[in-house]
Amino acid sequence: MSLHDTYPCGRISRRRFLHQAGGGFLGAAMGALWAESGEIQNAILGPHFPPRARSVIFLFMCGGVSHIDTFDPKDNKWAGKFIDAVGFGDNQAEMKRPVIPCLRTFTRHGQSGIPVSDWFPHVGSMADEIAVVRSMWCNESNHFPAVIENCTGHRGRQFDHPSLGAWVSYALGTENRNLPTFVNIGRPSSPVQLTGGYLGASVSATPFQAGEMPIPNLIPPKGGVGADRDRAMEALQVLNREFRERYETHLDIAARVKSYELAARMQLSAPQVVDFSREPRHVQEQYGIGAPETEEFGRQLLLARRLAEEGVRFIQICHAGGGNGAWDSHGDMKSHGPLCRATDKPIAGLLQDLKQRGMLDQTLVVWTSEFGRTPWSQNTTGRDHNPRGYTSWLAGGGVRGGVVHGATDEVGYRAVEDPHYCSDLHATLLRQLGLDHRRMEVNLFGRALRLVEEGSEPILGIL
Amino acid sequence: MVLLLAALLLPLPPGGTLRAGPKAKRAEDLWALRPLVRPALPASARPGANPVDAFIEASLRERGLTPLGRAEPLVLLRRVYLDLIGIPPSPAEQEAFLSDHSPDAYEKVVDRLLASEQHGVRYGRRWLDVLRYADEDEQLVPSVGLHHWRDWVIGALNEDLPYDQFVRAQLTGYRGAARTQITATGHRVAVPPRADDLFALGFLARGAARFDGAQSPELAISAVETISTAFMGMTVGCAKCHDHFYDPISKRDYYAMKALFDPLVVRKVVLAGAEERVANGKAPAEAARKRAALEAKIAELAGPYRERLYEERLAMLPGEVQQVIRKPEKQRTAAERKIADDYYPVLRIDAGKISEVMPEGERKRYGELRKELDGLGSGGDLPACFTVEVDPARALEKSFILISGDPQRPDRAHEVEPGWPFGPANPDLREGRVEALSDWLTAPENPLFPRVAVNRIWQWHFGEGLHALPSDLGSLGGVPAELDLLNWLAAEFVSRGFGMKSLHRLMVTSEAYRRSSETRGERAAPSLTLDPALAHPWAFRLQRLDAEGVWDSIFASAGRLDLRVGGPSFDGALPGLPAGEGRSMRRGAYLVRGFSASRDVLPPFLQTFDVDDGRVPCPVRTRTVTAPQSLFLMNSREVAEAADALGHRVERESGGDLGSAIDRAYALVLCRPPTHAEHRHATEFLAGNPARLVPLAWVLLNLDEFLFVR
Repeated sequence: MSLHDTYPCGRISRRRFLHQAGGGFLGAAMGALWAESGEIQNAILGPHFPPRARSVIFLFMCGGVSHIDTFDPKDNKWAGKFIDAVGFGDNQAEMKRPVIPCLRTFTRHGQSGIPVSDWFPHVGSMADEIAVVRSMWCNESNHFPAVIENCTGHRGRQFDHPSLGAWVSYALGTENRNLPTFVNIGRPSSPVQLTGGYLGASVSATPFQAGEMPIPNLIPPKGGVGADRDRAMEALQVLNREFRERYETHLDIAARVKSYELAARMQLSAPQVVDFSREPRHVQEQYGIGAPETEEFGRQLLLARRLAEEGVRFIQICHAGGGNGAWDSHGDMKSHGPLCRATDKPIAGLLQDLKQRGMLDQTLVVWTSEFGRTPWSQNTTGRDHNPRGYTSWLAGGGVRGGVVHGATDEVGYRAVEDPHYCSDLHATLLRQLGLDHRRMEVNLFGRALRLVEEGSEPILGIL
Repeated sequence: MVLLLAALLLPLPPGGTLRAGPKAKRAEDLWALRPLVRPALPASARPGANPVDAFIEASLRERGLTPLGRAEPLVLLRRVYLDLIGIPPSPAEQEAFLSDHSPDAYEKVVDRLLASEQHGVRYGRRWLDVLRYADEDEQLVPSVGLHHWRDWVIGALNEDLPYDQFVRAQLTGYRGAARTQITATGHRVAVPPRADDLFALGFLARGAARFDGAQSPELAISAVETISTAFMGMTVGCAKCHDHFYDPISKRDYYAMKALFDPLVVRKVVLAGAEERVANGKAPAEAARKRAALEAKIAELAGPYRERLYEERLAMLPGEVQQVIRKPEKQRTAAERKIADDYYPVLRIDAGKISEVMPEGERKRYGELRKELDGLGSGGDLPACFTVEVDPARALEKSFILISGDPQRPDRAHEVEPGWPFGPANPDLREGRVEALSDWLTAPENPLFPRVAVNRIWQWHFGEGLHALPSDLGSLGGVPAELDLLNWLAAEFVSRGFGMKSLHRLMVTSEAYRRSSETRGERAAPSLTLDPALAHPWAFRLQRLDAEGVWDSIFASAGRLDLRVGGPSFDGALPGLPAGEGRSMRRGAYLVRGFSASRDVLPPFLQTFDVDDGRVPCPVRTRTVTAPQSLFLMNSREVAEAADALGHRVERESGGDLGSAIDRAYALVLCRPPTHAEHRHATEFLAGNPARLVPLAWVLLNLDEFLFVR
């Protein structure tokens, strides 16, 4: 029995449905039920126009990467001088702070000649595929609020806004009935990065691990019941039969049957996705698998590519998360070094691999962080948080490569040329996926809620 | 649900005792605010029938819906057990029920369940969803005894504290309205509140104490949102930034209500007797003495190096800055003070820098001393909890509308007087602001108060309220189809003195509650066509077990459910013991709730089964049916261990006879005997091997039937 048999309205858009239901509680439950049942494989909100990208691989560096030491070179003429700075966090006052020198050397890469620091030589080698946006900004200056702002497009948690990946998965549904639409790999800074918020649990991120057990409870615990599992599954089918017949008119039971089937299918398909044994050695090496420093992130990115190949819409990879995030280099910029080394080769490997497979055109890779870092230090050789200017870069998925867009001021403090609020990045992503950010809204509790608020637009300069 | 879409405001006659301001839409337009008049029973009512059924049967007849017959006895037994105490009936209880042929066998079960202390655990948890219980959130200091509030709620339900007292205690700390008394000499003095009702105030204090010791501005905001939705059934919180879109609630109303709570501050209460306090009082002093001694040693060792580094650093700064810094602090002008402050972090000499310049031997000693210092605690902490009290200074402060709801941005041009929507124009605040609200709210003539309560309780028993939005009786949800029934129940609730147990009993002993949920077959077909969403209770609504129901049922069937009542929350993580060690699990109601921006607080199990984190009130849980839920039942360690325990349990309890082991397993998991066909299939599956009882237990825990209340 299909849900359509009892739900004659068929393809009623969920947005409309929620609106009409007048509350959202029931509507949300129903929507989640549909989505999980696999009935909705096509768009709920979109696409609104032909998409350029099929999937997004969203690389989020937790803790705040210094743009000044990576993709936004500044000369050191201000180094050692005290400048008027604005304190962040609890202290918003103007104060004097010493600009610290940038100890990196920058090399111009590829035909485009984009300068990239010696911390990212491999990513640099892919410069012609990359659009560097040097003029990002957001409002929040502490980690958790900024992470929330960067992943939901909103400040604070008053409205339980969903994360970016949840919106995408909600709007576009799945291409693969055996896998979730929104996957997170790696430890996030905040659970908000995974939340489906008011769009419901069914569009929240499913955490995958690049190991034997990609999803919690995916395979039975060792020993115990495991051995007799096949026979037990058969018995389960048989013993379920009578109850299912008795309750065949109930939507919930239909959903339960489907969810069980999906669980069973995931049990078969998900381990294959994490099984790298068929990946040629040279591909694994491209990702840095086999070298201790790059092994972990390399495995995560290879898993990301495999998920993209399987049609997973939004693959979010959180690097160095947990707490404030390891990129948070207040004490000494040197602590960026190992993090760059751990991610540089895998990221470049991912871009190369996608390109070689002809997947880069349809796979949008985004690299970003919750904010950048200040030109000055707090009496250390490290840098403070800087939400007023930072760098994100994009590659593939219809984004022009070899482009530098926007600029910060001469010390790297404020985004001054073509400044882009973090929601502009979201709008860009949506656009490449064939979604109009203005039409991405749901009506709940009598008000329109959206990912991208008025005033934010895609970054057209890189498209 | 489809009927909900047609939510139309019926034209209602004017009148009503409640005041409404000059608004576009009047309070009189809202059905929930109209005076409560007990409707007469329908003429068709059978004598002696439950009045609930009289209303429902008349309504069904009118709509051409044919009610289904009663559910099978054991189906009903499992339903009412899971509803009233959240635990399935044991095989012995099933047998006793089947063999009790007295006409009131079912009523006796209901009375026994309502008298069980597990009833408080079950319904306490339901209330705590609505009252946004959370052990931890962004601001709440964790582990500060908030669970005492949960224990209070559970205890109050178990002693059948009337609903008005239940609410008053949580708002004011007093169950009754008499908070003062007059002495023999004519002085009005405060009556001391009951000592245990202190914990009821955890309701207001929750989330308001910050890690940094400051007061969260969220106390008043959260109080308005929670009280208005939970007890008034009005979404006053919507008017925080704009006048309410649907209901006659203005932004001014919101801030007037918020002003009721503005004078409240949180206070930490140490929960210890005199002797413990005395013993504990010595500890911090001892710790401070040790600390001072250590600090002196460290200063002596590091002093010269610190001074040298400081001088070097200072020499780097511009001359005029050096001059300012060298001035004694008291002689600096305001501008100079600012300069000194700006350069403070530049001149701060951290321990790391000092140890860099120290010779090897001293560096080691310095490190040891510092480590020792870090290891010194502040001296023992006593158990504590948070409560609220009126701060007289704050009570003198004016309250304003906030711009964009931001506590930092009061709109000084718009002062508000304390009050609340739908309340009197000039409330009598002499007994206190919150007290005034509490007295108005719980007054027997307030029609909103019992309507919200009976609708909520109906929702808990029947799966959906008579009004589908239990915390919003405003115009958005329309007028309930069974409005007469709702009004009758509300009037009855008031006349019974707000007794919740008696209301539960009235509802669950109705025929409507006892109906079958099987909507298959010829008898149900016409009704199913007319009302496929069961908007009217002609059949019982099949429901997925809620999270706690799943948790408790799994461990109860395995004989591993720890039924202790009260105490702090637990995280549900399985300790690293091998399976079958006889460990037990506490009830799901005690699983930790909460939110942290930096880590998961809510156990994955609760997230998978649709439990909110408790940041905001949750009047209705979403009920999804998802693949991760199936994966939990199939593959989790919890279910594997329970299956193992259950398999061994039935083997042991059936004395090795596989036939009766199958019967026992069915009774424990599904609360019924297997059918012949099921018994045969199970026997085939076992194939004479008792070791297969564990996989059989796994099969039963994974049956669709187990996951649903039918």
